[in-house]
Amino acid sequence: MTHSTKSWLLALAGATMLLATPALANETIRIGAPLPLTGPLSPEGLKQQRGYDLWAETVNAAGGVTAGDTTYDVEIVYVDYESQTPRAVQTAERLITADDVNFLFAPFGSGAAKAASSVAERYQIPMVAATASSVEVYDQGYQYLFGTFTPNNTLTDPLARIVADSGEDISTVAIYARNDLFPLAIAKEMEKSAGDNGIEVISFDEYAIGTMDHASAMTLLMRSKPDWIFATGYINDLILIRRQMADLGIEPKALTMLAGPAYKEFIEATGDHSNNVSSAAWWHPAVAYDGEGVFGPTSDFVTAFEAKYDATPDYAEASAAAAGVVLQLAIEDAGTIEPSAVRDALAAMDVMTFYGPVHFGENGQIDSLEPPVFQIQDGATKTIYPEEIKQADMRFGGIE
Amino acid sequence: MLYAQILLNGLVLGGLYACISVGFSLVWGVLNVINVLHGSFVVLGSYIAYFAYVHLGIHPFVSVVIAGALLFALGYVVQLGLINRVVGAPVLTTLVLTFGLDLLLNNGMLLAFSADYRSVQLANPLGSKVIAGLVFPLDRLVAMLLAGVLTGLLYLLLVRSKIGHAIVAVRMDREAAALMGVDVKTIYAITFGIGALMAGAAGSLLSLVFPISPLASSEYLSIAFIVCVLGGLGSIAGAIVGGLALGLIQSFGALFIGPEHGLTIAFVLLILLLIFKPTGIMGRRGYE
Repeated sequence: MTHSTKSWLLALAGATMLLATPALANETIRIGAPLPLTGPLSPEGLKQQRGYDLWAETVNAAGGVTAGDTTYDVEIVYVDYESQTPRAVQTAERLITADDVNFLFAPFGSGAAKAASSVAERYQIPMVAATASSVEVYDQGYQYLFGTFTPNNTLTDPLARIVADSGEDISTVAIYARNDLFPLAIAKEMEKSAGDNGIEVISFDEYAIGTMDHASAMTLLMRSKPDWIFATGYINDLILIRRQMADLGIEPKALTMLAGPAYKEFIEATGDHSNNVSSAAWWHPAVAYDGEGVFGPTSDFVTAFEAKYDATPDYAEASAAAAGVVLQLAIEDAGTIEPSAVRDALAAMDVMTFYGPVHFGENGQIDSLEPPVFQIQDGATKTIYPEEIKQADMRFGGIE
Repeated sequence: MLYAQILLNGLVLGGLYACISVGFSLVWGVLNVINVLHGSFVVLGSYIAYFAYVHLGIHPFVSVVIAGALLFALGYVVQLGLINRVVGAPVLTTLVLTFGLDLLLNNGMLLAFSADYRSVQLANPLGSKVIAGLVFPLDRLVAMLLAGVLTGLLYLLLVRSKIGHAIVAVRMDREAAALMGVDVKTIYAITFGIGALMAGAAGSLLSLVFPISPLASSEYLSIAFIVCVLGGLGSIAGAIVGGLALGLIQSFGALFIGPEHGLTIAFVLLILLLIFKPTGIMGRRGYE
């Protein structure tokens, strides 16, 4: 190759590179997301990741987030804390100090979110928790923590009220709960809600994590012939409990399970036995809100989610995507990515999203959302409550 | 009547536990290998039954044969190619190896099938039958009976066939068996294959009973562990007795102490047994 040919080639290469350079690259907002991507909580962690990813992709495809005169792309920095809460806290700190994230999405669940919130508070980085419902998380007087799950009693109160006011002569409930943070908390909440609505709790039993048989517990539970059975746990527990109830011919007037029926998996795995099982969740694809933000109305969010993952979004996935929408709206309101300004915008927020109306209470926990009660009727999930999005009345009997 | 129902629940559950554990016990007893892969083998058997039913309409009671055959082949290859290299090493070495293989297999299943729980929904389930006030869950009972038949066949294989004699001989004295012309490595591979076959068959039967997910493998493994230690290592009778004992302990534990303590009671009994009768209910003292 001659010297002049080389020069030509260099010049050509230089010209190509110039042409390939975009006119203006967006700056980037980095959001730290410590998640349990491996270990026992990994199914939940992966769900949250799907929600965040969908939001980030949708935002970037729409041109990014505009704060004042600057447009930003969003980048989510994931770190796996392997389902170990102590590591979640270390991870949150590392994301702030080493990875220079601007904002945080909280780790999974109430326990880990509470533990990590002290880090966010210390560094004054706004943190949005997508899956923390316990009031204890928010009652620490922190300024930088916001959560998109309402307290547990907002799930159990409407259920107990609907059952008590049904005119179906339901006066007793048997509660059967997985001995685990959230399932036990929600069961204890139901104990209160039932009492408040004049329904007697005739038994309250717990089962251990990893229980592979509920036959004897169910046999014992039926001795007191409860009108209503309220069972809590995760999807594998509830599938097994439902099938064993059917095996033993247990047919109460009403059966409520939390948090399994929110998933399509439950209907597929229990078939006809899923009929007339009621439940509650913070969100359900059947709700219809005409939302602001990148997703627009609920149905558009569901469509986008189904297109990307070939699956129906559940409440945890929706809440994760909503955490992104909320953060984005706050940044746009604040007109800057300066943490304290964004924090103030979050505190003052009052908007409608695909997830529902969003307004945070004094403690940072959402107080505007009415979690839907729903029931599986003829193989499809129907919303029973709240009135605005109601699709059917609660049915009683028919638990076979 | 309540006691009778609890007894029945315990026996049915115990039968399922025994069928989960037989293969694990055989491998531990003959090869002195604690096979951490066992739980994932059971889950893989369940998936084979699930996909055979969903895509080909084959009843899980029939796909027992398919799952068993496929898992036998997998077990044979794993033992011949990998575990045989370290089979003479201390038990911890094989434990680490099968633990690593289990991570591979389990995460492979997570990638392939996701963590979602699935369940075989039969078009015509057997349901349950009430006889004299007792509820008999038929799907479980048939699964248990089939497991019993399989276990019986395995027992016959061990006591009647040439291969069975070789397996027993290797279990009793590896060096002497080798001197008598037994090809120890092949016998090991066959034994591990049979262990995997029993796991796959159990998984296939259990696909009607338990929700299917790779996450369930650790539960199956811990059941197999407890059952083997309860019943005694390396004997089929031990696995059956241990399984039934565990099922009954859990059922009656739920009755007398409460459902949440079923597993706790099982472990307390296990510790007591290890203190006072370390060989288990049926077993002889295993390998040191």
